[in-house]
Amino acid sequence: MVVHLNWLIREAREVDLAEIMKLEHACFGSDSWSENNMRAELVEHHTYYLVAEIDGQLVGYAGLSKLPSSEQSDIQTIAVAASQRGTGLGRELMHRLIARAKELGSKEMFLEVRADNPIAQKLYRKLGFVQISLRKNYYQPDGVDALIMRLDLERFEVPGIGQKQPIVLGIESSCDETGVGIVRGATLLANVISSSMDEHARFGGVVPEIAARAHLEALKPTLREALSQAGLSIDDVDAIAVTNGPGLGGALMVGVGAAKALAVATGKPIYAVNHLVGHVGVDVLERGVVETPTIALLVSGGHTSLLLVRDLLDDVELLGETIDDAAGEAFDKVARVLGLKYPGGPEIDRAAEGGDPKAIRFPRGLSLPKDMEKHRYDFSFSGLKTAVARHVELAESRGEAFSRADVAASFREAVVDVLVTKAVNACKDHGVPRLLLGGGVVANRRLREFAQEQCDKHGIELRIPALSLCTDNGAMIAALGAQLIMAGREPSSLDFSAVSTLPVTQVQSL
Amino acid sequence: MRVLAIDTSAGTSVAVVENNGGSVTVLGESSVDNAMKHAETIGSAIVDALAQAGLTGGVSTTGRVRGIDAVVVGRGPAPFTGLRVGIAAAVMFAEGLNLPLFGVVSHDAVALAEFERGLTLADGEELLVTSDARRSEVYWATYQGQNENGLPIRSAGPAVQKPADLDREFELAGRKLARASGQVKASSIAKIFFAQQASDCTDGDVSALYLRAPDAVPTAAKKVSG
Repeated sequence: MVVHLNWLIREAREVDLAEIMKLEHACFGSDSWSENNMRAELVEHHTYYLVAEIDGQLVGYAGLSKLPSSEQSDIQTIAVAASQRGTGLGRELMHRLIARAKELGSKEMFLEVRADNPIAQKLYRKLGFVQISLRKNYYQPDGVDALIMRLDLERFEVPGIGQKQPIVLGIESSCDETGVGIVRGATLLANVISSSMDEHARFGGVVPEIAARAHLEALKPTLREALSQAGLSIDDVDAIAVTNGPGLGGALMVGVGAAKALAVATGKPIYAVNHLVGHVGVDVLERGVVETPTIALLVSGGHTSLLLVRDLLDDVELLGETIDDAAGEAFDKVARVLGLKYPGGPEIDRAAEGGDPKAIRFPRGLSLPKDMEKHRYDFSFSGLKTAVARHVELAESRGEAFSRADVAASFREAVVDVLVTKAVNACKDHGVPRLLLGGGVVANRRLREFAQEQCDKHGIELRIPALSLCTDNGAMIAALGAQLIMAGREPSSLDFSAVSTLPVTQVQSL
Repeated sequence: MRVLAIDTSAGTSVAVVENNGGSVTVLGESSVDNAMKHAETIGSAIVDALAQAGLTGGVSTTGRVRGIDAVVVGRGPAPFTGLRVGIAAAVMFAEGLNLPLFGVVSHDAVALAEFERGLTLADGEELLVTSDARRSEVYWATYQGQNENGLPIRSAGPAVQKPADLDREFELAGRKLARASGQVKASSIAKIFFAQQASDCTDGDVSALYLRAPDAVPTAAKKVSG
């Protein structure tokens, strides 16, 4: 932790009122408290106010309220002079208030923050506050919503003040990949994947029963390899996390049954987490946090989903998804039409080499104005697949030669165009300056390229985690589990289900 | 020796069974008949059976489980989905505690329960154990009594067949049959294991007895134009 020796932080007194009010007006304008209210705050017995000074000049203040009869405390206000923002003063004031609240016997701490103040929200989240509700139009006259946030002071140590980073083992079995990953907090320790992909090859797509059988066989070796990679024994692990949906029912059940028995045997808490949110949460392993809000585009053989993530643990919204085939499935099916192998993504990438992406204008599913009304963020790829098949069959029936490279390149362009255009639309529509990609189709070079082009063009920050973290894996499940633990969330019960259609709004199943 | 036994070939059943010099006691058993909810119930069923045996403090999972020496699991045969939950759980329970793991044919446990209930076979008679294999078929195995350690002697199976075909075959062969199709109890799975131990024929194979290939056939791409 950086120590700023130039601040002097001390308890506030009534004589500070005039200086405090100057800063109050500078920071909050029309939202400012009156001088009388502020004086009352400073002199009350159940409040605790701090001021920060540099060379005798007041540059910040913050206060909490705690009634002696209560085990809760509230952050009343915090203000930092414009000249000191970004220096860590806000965090330092918060740390001191949190420490004081703990001394006073508080078990939890609450605060309100303006929905349009992402910088403050980010600070609070980093400190461990979690949004628990939203008050509509709380701030008047602006009509801005307030986020109500809570910090669990009992379970949770403030980061930077020696918080324990939990070691979490994550188990993933929602599709054809058996994944076991291990993290310590937001640090990756192991990520082992055993795939049954080759066994599905001759069927041209994932066969659920084959995938489930393979999970059962892969569990033990994958677990052992992950522990060995991390240099840990199972006893070193603090908690187990497992995917309980969405995904293939029979496949999910193997992981869920395995995780529950492992948790019971070793006496460790278990966290049932959402697979799709795991794809978003994996970004903590590279960046330490998932910067929010963000749009997430998740594309794989099983999913094509567009999410709006305002908060990783509390506020994930499904904007749209495919209404028929997943994007990866479309690649597989078109690969068959072109006589290419499974999985289709890399095969089509290779076949498209040197092809003209504009040679054939294949349809962009759900992109016509009439579709955009109802399905602005939804996807459809089955018409595209049929169009490619028809194009090829027609050429063949006429005995005409056709360029496989052109067909592959044009098909790929159609998929990538729709995916990226809709994701960028979502960013613009919701005023979200970030786009995160996840899922196995991210391996597609053209998708990454086009997403970068479009994001650069529209001033959107693009996040693409390492490919080994984009495909289905246990590390992302462990990472999301660790985030839940560090936010003070209770473990799941032992009775949660495997839910093949689990909605993204359910980040953790209790 | 104390074992944790799991079977999810029909419902979910978990038991803790002790063998003290040949005297076998069921210390705890938790069974749920529901043939759909294996993944939901398996965790609590294990906790429940352990708690009955006094080995852990109820539903809260605090600390490593102590006092279990081995894990035994029913391998089916059974329709696929639920069966895997029990095997996966057994594999991980054993792995988590570094315990030896053994597999048992689930039908053997049904046969044992019948014999324990007092079934005696007439001369030349066999016990036919069947269970629902769905798709109008049954899983079956036949038994010719018990060996000196009480282990049911399996004469045929496990296999999967249409009941009418099975009946015709037995009729043609002139085999006399007593029939049973009871629920599989995990305590019986454990007892089979102890009888196998006494007979020196335990089996470390815990692979699932599906007895059918996965439902998938490679297909040619369909034509889309007329």
